[in-house]
Amino acid sequence: MADAQFDSALDLLRRLNPRDTKTNLQAITSIVPELTEDLLSSVDQPLEIRRCPQSNRDYLLCDYNRDGDSYRSPWSNEFDPPLEDGTVPSERVRKLEIAANESFDVYRELYYEGGVGSVYFWDLDDGFAGVILLKKGVTPGSQSSGEWDSIHVFEATDRARMSHYKLTSTVILHLSNKTEALGDMDLSGNMTRQVEVDLPVESDASHVANVGRLVEDMELKMRNLLQEVYFGKAKDVVGELRSLGPLSDANRDRETQREMIMSMQK
Amino acid sequence: MASTVELASAFIEGAPPGELADVVADVQALTSEGEDIIPSLLPAFKRYNETQLATVKLPGSSQEVIVSGFNALEGNRYFDPESQTSFEVDHTTQTASAAQSYALESEHADLIKSLLKSFGVHAREHYPNCSYGVYPIEDDSAIAIVLVANRYSPNNFWNGRFRAIYQLPVSSSSSTLTGNIHVDVHYYEDGNVALNTTKPINISVPSVSAESIVSRIAAAERDYQEALNRAFVQTSEGVFKGLRRQLPITRQKVEWEKVGGYRLGQDISGGKGR
Repeated sequence: MADAQFDSALDLLRRLNPRDTKTNLQAITSIVPELTEDLLSSVDQPLEIRRCPQSNRDYLLCDYNRDGDSYRSPWSNEFDPPLEDGTVPSERVRKLEIAANESFDVYRELYYEGGVGSVYFWDLDDGFAGVILLKKGVTPGSQSSGEWDSIHVFEATDRARMSHYKLTSTVILHLSNKTEALGDMDLSGNMTRQVEVDLPVESDASHVANVGRLVEDMELKMRNLLQEVYFGKAKDVVGELRSLGPLSDANRDRETQREMIMSMQK
Repeated sequence: MASTVELASAFIEGAPPGELADVVADVQALTSEGEDIIPSLLPAFKRYNETQLATVKLPGSSQEVIVSGFNALEGNRYFDPESQTSFEVDHTTQTASAAQSYALESEHADLIKSLLKSFGVHAREHYPNCSYGVYPIEDDSAIAIVLVANRYSPNNFWNGRFRAIYQLPVSSSSSTLTGNIHVDVHYYEDGNVALNTTKPINISVPSVSAESIVSRIAAAERDYQEALNRAFVQTSEGVFKGLRRQLPITRQKVEWEKVGGYRLGQDISGGKGR
C-alpha cells in the first residue's frame, strides 16, 4: 500500500504544474504524512542559497548537507546553526570534496558565468557518493526571468583499478515572460536523466576528473534536451492546437501533393 | 490546516489538459477514502469543467459541445444554441444525458445565429479539433463567445489545450470585446514541463455584426500566436542562453586533470580574465 501511494504521489507531482511542486508536495504530505521523508529525498525542488558565516561565501542547501535543522557549508565544513556532532565526511572524502568544489567552481564560472555552486560528498561502505549543485537566476528585464537549478547525485563504487559511477541528474528550469503583445507566458519544469559507467581510477584525483566529465557531458546533453522540449516541442504542440495559416489551404496542398504522387506512380 | 477534501479539490482543479482521470486515480490512491472521496469533490469537478471548457458528447450524437459557466442552466444542466439542445452533465465522468430540445430565448437570437455561422467558419479554418459556443449572458445584455481546442497524445507524453473566451456587450452599436486566450501544454516524458499562458484581449468593435466581430477575433488570435512563436525564439536566444552557455567562451570543454590546481581567473578561462 505504501509503495503504491508513493508511486501515486510521484505520478501526481509529474502531472501537476511544476511551478507549484513545493505547495503540492506539502499538500500530499499533509494527506499522507508517512510519505514525507521518502518524498523529500526523491523530489527535487529549486535550491535555496545561504551565506557561510566563516568564509562569507554563498552555498546551496539540500537534503545531503542537512543534519537536523542545520546545514553544512562546503567552504568551512561547519554547520549553521552550529552542531556539536554533525555528520561530516571522513578525512579522505573531505579532501576529495574540497578538490571537487575547487574544480566545479571553475566549471561554474566557465559555463554559468556567475551563479552559485556547491559539492557535497559522503562515505559509502564500498566507495563514496556525492551531489553537485549549480544554480543561476537571471532577470534581464523587469518582465522576464529565468532560473536554472542543476542537481547531480552520483555513487562511485570501488572496483579493481576502476570505479563504477552511477549518476542521476535533474535540471529544474523556470522561465517567464510578460509583454503587452504576449500577455503572461510561463514555461517551467524539470527533466531527469541517468547514466552508469565504469571508468579507470589511478588515484583519488581521478575521481574528481571522472565525475567532472560525467557531469559536463550530462549537462550538455540535458541543455540540448531542454532546448528541444521547451522551445521546440512546446511550440510544435501550440501549432497542433492552432494553425496559423488556413487549414483549407493546407488540406488543398496535401491533396495536390497526393495527386502528383499518384500520377507519378502511374 | 486545509482539509483532505480541500487539498484534493486543488489537485483536481490543477489537472493538466487530458489528464483529469490520471489525477483522479492518484487522488483516490492517496486518500484513505479511496473512491468514496469522489462525491465530496463534485464542486471541484464542476469548477474544473466550467473553467477548462470541458466538452461532452450529446446523447446519440458524435458532436462535442462545451460546458461552461456561460451556458449553465439550473442544477447540472447546460444548453447548446447550435443544436438547440439542453442536457445534463455528470461532472465526474464528463458525460451528458437527458437531452431535451431547447429554444433560445434572446433578443439577439439572430446575431447569435450568424455569429455561430461566421465563428464556425473561422474555427474550422484554424483549429483542427475544436468546439465552440455563442451564448447570451448577463440578462441578455451581452454575448459570450468561447472556443476550446484540445490535442492529446499520451502515448508521446504530451497534451495541449487552447482556450479563447470573449465577452461583448451588445446594447449599443459599437462595443468592446474583452476576454482571455489561454494556452496550456504539458510534456511529461522523464520529467514535467508545462507551458501556461494568459493573454488578455481588449479590442474595440466598430459595429456589432457577426462579420465584424469574427474578423477582429481572427486578427487578435493570429497576432497572439505570432507573438507566442516569437517569444519561444526570444526566450531561447535570450534568458535561456544567459543561464548556462552551451560551451565555455573558449569553445573548449573543461580540462579536468588540470583544473584542480588552477584558481579562478587564471588562464583556464581562455584569457577572458576577471
